[in-house]
Amino acid sequence: MNSYQWSDLQIGLSDGFEVRLTPDMMEAFASISGDTNPLHRNRQLAMQHGFSDTVAYGLLTSAFYSQLVGVHLPGRYALLHGIDIDFVSPAYPGDILNVSGEISYLNDAFRRIEIRANIKRHGEKVVSKAKLRVGLQTP
Amino acid sequence: MANILEELQPLFRDILDQPNLRITRESNSSNVEGWDSLAHINLVTAIEQEYNVKFSIDELLVLKNVGEMVDLMEIKLAAK
Repeated sequence: MNSYQWSDLQIGLSDGFEVRLTPDMMEAFASISGDTNPLHRNRQLAMQHGFSDTVAYGLLTSAFYSQLVGVHLPGRYALLHGIDIDFVSPAYPGDILNVSGEISYLNDAFRRIEIRANIKRHGEKVVSKAKLRVGLQTP
Repeated sequence: MANILEELQPLFRDILDQPNLRITRESNSSNVEGWDSLAHINLVTAIEQEYNVKFSIDELLVLKNVGEMVDLMEIKLAAK
């Protein structure tokens, strides 16, 4: 886990990680959220609608923005204040997701960080884009 | 110089999620519903980015209302 403090941060600082989206994650998210929409559960139906597999929950893939902030950038002293997310294209179980972010704004008065982030499938197709608003706690 | 108070209206409406809100120079966190500490950070950071200005914590702590913020913005924008 990274432990960036305020003096370590600068605009342009970036970080990221890679994760595989598994069927178990899909099941866990369905259980937690109660979202049983068949597009996320029924492969045949999803394919009838033009998708290549069951569609990953947008808020499941977006959960990785939480890891980006809480573990990587800035890490330990982060407190997530808010997120604006645009879902650009679907992700599917089994996909390798590349989650990355770059600091785009720093507010000294409130120790507020803004991070422009995105998630890509297999390092290419953008799944979602996000603006993350993050507070930095004092150690 | 443009009327900053009028320019700020949509920003406050958006961040405080009140489509019919009309702020005045006397508006502050005590008399505007939903203006909590997180909204306050969102307002200040949005103004900083919209106008490309920076506020120090000392400058922000003495502000009593929107009118004083507008006055401070005018000083900063005139100095650019």
